[in-house]
Amino acid sequence: MSTPTRPAGLWRLIATREVTTRIRDKAFIGGTLFSVVLIIGVFVVTALVSGGPRSYDVAVVEAPSGVLEGTAAYLSVGEDEPAEVNAVEVDDTAAAEAAVRDGEADVALLTTADGFELVSEDGADEVLEAALRAAIAETVTATNAQAQDVDLEALVAGSEVTARELDPRAAEAGARSAVAFGFAIVFLLTAMGFGMAISQSVVREKESRVVEILAAAVPIRALLWGKIVGNTVLALGQVVILVAVSLIGLAVTGESGLLAGLSGAMAWYVVLFVLGFVSLAALWSVAGSLASKQEDLQSTTLPGQMLLFVPYFVSVLAGEGVRVVFSMLPIVSTMVMPGRIAEGDVPLWQIAVAIASTVVAAFVFVRLGERMFERTVLRTGGKLGYREALAIRE
Amino acid sequence: MLSIHRLTRVYGDKTVLDEVSFDVRPGRMTGFVGANGAGKTTTMRMIVGVLAPTSGEVHWHGAPLTTEQRRSFGYMPEERGLYPGQKVLDQLVFFGRLHGMTTAEAKERAQSLLARLGLTEREDDLLETLSLGNQQRVQIAASLVHRPSALILDEPFSGLDPLAVDAMVSLLRDEVTPEMPVLFSSHQLDLVERLCDDLVILSGGRLVAAGSVEELQSSQEERYRIRLADQADAGALREVPGLEVLDAEDSSALVRLTTLAPEKALVAAQAVAPVVEFARVVRPLSQIFREASA
Repeated sequence: MSTPTRPAGLWRLIATREVTTRIRDKAFIGGTLFSVVLIIGVFVVTALVSGGPRSYDVAVVEAPSGVLEGTAAYLSVGEDEPAEVNAVEVDDTAAAEAAVRDGEADVALLTTADGFELVSEDGADEVLEAALRAAIAETVTATNAQAQDVDLEALVAGSEVTARELDPRAAEAGARSAVAFGFAIVFLLTAMGFGMAISQSVVREKESRVVEILAAAVPIRALLWGKIVGNTVLALGQVVILVAVSLIGLAVTGESGLLAGLSGAMAWYVVLFVLGFVSLAALWSVAGSLASKQEDLQSTTLPGQMLLFVPYFVSVLAGEGVRVVFSMLPIVSTMVMPGRIAEGDVPLWQIAVAIASTVVAAFVFVRLGERMFERTVLRTGGKLGYREALAIRE
Repeated sequence: MLSIHRLTRVYGDKTVLDEVSFDVRPGRMTGFVGANGAGKTTTMRMIVGVLAPTSGEVHWHGAPLTTEQRRSFGYMPEERGLYPGQKVLDQLVFFGRLHGMTTAEAKERAQSLLARLGLTEREDDLLETLSLGNQQRVQIAASLVHRPSALILDEPFSGLDPLAVDAMVSLLRDEVTPEMPVLFSSHQLDLVERLCDDLVILSGGRLVAAGSVEELQSSQEERYRIRLADQADAGALREVPGLEVLDAEDSSALVRLTTLAPEKALVAAQAVAPVVEFARVVRPLSQIFREASA
């Protein structure tokens, strides 16, 4: 069919219809809300598990001066918020033990003839114990030094140890890996979800035969572009919401350091996301146009699913070398590259290769998709194979 | 004028449409009949451009139809197709806009069509909640919303009750302008007879007849029914020279005039017995159709 003219804005009308009907769809709204709730849930659980600022209760008969304050100071080193060590005043040793048993106190610190005794139910929290020992040593040493009339500063001179971090980001490595995984899974799920939506939208129009009226009224290419643009906008919109919720989550849970380090990766993610999604959108449209009924989609969308799942599993399970290569391949790059950027420095040329290859793939896929879509979307009565569709000449 | 010129469609080694040519004249309703598989839908799909012809052309005012002109046509496919889950008015506006109308224009036009089809209260309902008959009314509105330059309607009346047919017919009559060719296919020959001015008959992918209904009906020699009074035997008419009795039963005969003019034949018949009925027999379309498709 010849399509000499392409009245401006036709694809936009199709895209608008695609978007407006979808955002009124209860299943779509529900799915988006579910994702948002899921992300919020992850943050809530993480916050609960990590427990926020540390707080300990120590049962004491008579608080040794300065020890608990010193312990809190040790516990607060390297934390965003100061730790708390509260004294639970008790009358005697028995009361102290009872407090520990009842859970009123984490430990009891009792004075003995030789020094102190740390009483716990079944082994004290290691961090707390270390901090207590350090604080006791410091306080007692200071007291003793004064009693012996020793210049404590002179005594400890030269013993100070300072810390220097070669890779301060290493501490966040776990969080960064999680973010990298998040990038991959969000693209996988979004590309799958919206991909299926595109295929379904095409096959629905075939099933209801409205495509015949559309084809009589507008160039088939405008139909394809309307679907690609409409669904890309929807997918991107959903991802932006999810990313925004995640960013807010990071900020609220005090991970602002992580947040700052990830902004670059997030930006590249959005770029690669759009490119990767557009390349696939053409393929998903073809999957719809090859089918005649919804049931046909299971087989016609298989190549699209494979294009997402295989690289996904390879990238998750494979070693570093494979990931580097995969991060530069089209479509897969969206799942792998932003994650690599989040985890560490990636040479700029590799990012450039990833973008370039995806642009080329998008171009090829859309052109190929246009040809196959034009030839197959008006065919009914049985599904077609990809090879068959490519062989059709009209 | 819409002219179909030697349109041919071949699937593999099967020719479903074989060099079919006919005209669809403006301002008239052209009925398109033929048995199932005769090639009506194939022809219509090629006219609106959703199917490419193997060979042949469609002409518009004497020149090959351009894509732009084609898109200004109104089309109602055989298999109905609209968006089941969208509101009636919304989708009519959408189709109007696809044809270049502004939203306001399309809305006004769609509402006026819905009003004439008695669907004003349903305009905000989802299409799938309407009865099949009402969905079909919306379908015809979708083909009319952009004020098409020609109408191609594939079985527009199938599945409609007589009242709905009347409503749709009167809407069509209102909408057909003197410049607008209308081609509609139908299995309901009585309906075609009532509605159409011209007729195109296909059989097995070939054109067997095309022309105005009167032309087709009078294309063969005139036949008359003669009924005689007082139970007189109509067989006696066989003795009258210049007419041939095709069929005689009791006092009634079907005759073909071979040399006599009708008024002379009446006088000659009166000589046999008093005549109570002398009427020209117009062959119903169903008969033309059967003869043509045989």
